[in-house]
Amino acid sequence: MIDIQIELQNASFHLEANFSVAETGVTGIFGPSGSGKTSLLRVIAGLEPQALGLVQIGNAVWQDETSYLPIPQRQMGMVFQEPSLFQHLNVAENLRYGMNRTKRTSQSVEFSSMCELLDLEILLERNPLTLSGGEKQRVAIARALLASPQLLLLDEPLSALDQSARGKLMTYLEKVFQILDIPVFYVSHSSEEIARLADNLILMDSGQVSAFGPIDDVLSRIDSPLIELDEAFSVLECEVKAHDLPHLTTIQSVGGKILHIPEIQRAITSKLRLQIRARDVSLCLTEPSNTSILNIIEAKVTEISQVKQGARTIKLDIAGENLMAKVSDYSSTQLNLHSGQEVFAQIKSVALVG
Amino acid sequence: MDIWNRAAAGHKLGISSAMLSNPDFVAFALTIRLSLTTIVILIIIGTPIAWWLSQTKSKWRSVIEALIALPLVLPPTVLGFYMLLTLSSDGFIGASLAALGLPSLAFTFSGLVLGSVLYSLPFVVQPLQNAFSSIEQRSLEAASILGAGPLDRFISVVLPLSKMGYLTAIVLGFAHTMGEFGVVLMIGGNIPGQTQVLSIAIYDHVESLQYGAAHSLSAILLLLSFAVLLMVYSLNKRVQLLGRA
Repeated sequence: MIDIQIELQNASFHLEANFSVAETGVTGIFGPSGSGKTSLLRVIAGLEPQALGLVQIGNAVWQDETSYLPIPQRQMGMVFQEPSLFQHLNVAENLRYGMNRTKRTSQSVEFSSMCELLDLEILLERNPLTLSGGEKQRVAIARALLASPQLLLLDEPLSALDQSARGKLMTYLEKVFQILDIPVFYVSHSSEEIARLADNLILMDSGQVSAFGPIDDVLSRIDSPLIELDEAFSVLECEVKAHDLPHLTTIQSVGGKILHIPEIQRAITSKLRLQIRARDVSLCLTEPSNTSILNIIEAKVTEISQVKQGARTIKLDIAGENLMAKVSDYSSTQLNLHSGQEVFAQIKSVALVG
Repeated sequence: MDIWNRAAAGHKLGISSAMLSNPDFVAFALTIRLSLTTIVILIIIGTPIAWWLSQTKSKWRSVIEALIALPLVLPPTVLGFYMLLTLSSDGFIGASLAALGLPSLAFTFSGLVLGSVLYSLPFVVQPLQNAFSSIEQRSLEAASILGAGPLDRFISVVLPLSKMGYLTAIVLGFAHTMGEFGVVLMIGGNIPGQTQVLSIAIYDHVESLQYGAAHSLSAILLLLSFAVLLMVYSLNKRVQLLGRA
């Protein structure tokens, strides 16, 4: 487990975070800007020496009441929002910087295979100043991993990139996460990145951790802080079923529900991940006909939230998976929505995130 | 007016008649030795001072900065006068040295070095401080996360990124020491081979109406200073054109 119990008091800002998450997979840290996501990462890295409390990664105690491990001895890698490559070194020298400072015996990543994975071979002789934003971040990621860290910290690595570079780098990140067997903390304010990359989720708000756990548990909490931010969403794991309708692809959720999405070029049975925003899901008591909405699925109401800003969030069960819907309090009363009720969920749009 | 006329007359006599005499050569060599010694010491002590100034958030920073910058505005004779007082046998340093059984520094080469170090300190500290301040904190954080300790970070990141700062500091510190006069006059006196540097030798020649000799020495100093500054500025320009690679 990764155990964090820390407190940081700055002149204008108070951060308090207590949580533990599994020592595997990608843990997304999500919240509005100024909520303390980056500070949390910096505390874990040891970059905020005035922070108090416990930072424990598996058996390694990096910080507690009596000890404070200096940054160079914390076995971690970090990638910042804006690239931090050394401008006086070329790409290859940058990549070797951390590697050369890691004991031979604990080196677990091979230089050539990392360059191949992130397509860096042709960049090795270049100066970092001549690289594009996406290339710089790829070098930064490889440089961090070549130091064979026990934990990888990513602080909004995509946010300084334009839309197309962002998509490309996300594909590289997925490739990296697939072969990586160390835990990753991924800070982001984009729910799309979180939906696509995260296995666990930590929600932050005003310097506090408001929820943490496996991503599906956190997202499907009826009192999730995401609801107040109008950011509530669900993630559905699906697989490609058929390309039988014009301009559409038919997919099936893990629980067996059939959905249609705009046509994608992927083989039958390949896996994909959908992000569905709660505000894009509406409810009917009877099966609607003559509607332009493609995806209408049977669901069962499992939980109904309190009224917040005139709306309620409804947690639905669709063949064993959670789907969140947001309806106005007025509609909820009109439809007499209650737990255990069978309804039809109309999904206005889905985002393919993986 | 009179002195200028006489200087012009000396020029008409021709500089060629006044080749470097032996005492002049000694003064020249002493000046180079003084400047070299001073700049080595200045780089060694200026580096930690400049680093501290560039990183600290201490309220004492402004005080230290002002102290170091004093020689920029103070007449050198003032600095020299106070140094003479502290170095003399009943001054603070002089008395301490005497109590330890060490020789006095006044009117010695070591005394000159001490004076020059203080006098040229801002010319070394300020370029270094500027160079250090322009290094992004992020680069240093990245280096420490990649496993580099403080000294390692300084050698592998700070020094290579501060090359221009060091070049500027070395040249300015060296050139400024070569041209000093007031401090030397106060604490060094005018002992050939020990404390008689170029600027003093020139003054001596003028005093004794040897304009030809004064010309030779002045011309050497002028050309040397110009050449050194030209080198710095053209290097600086080339570095700017190439980026900081």
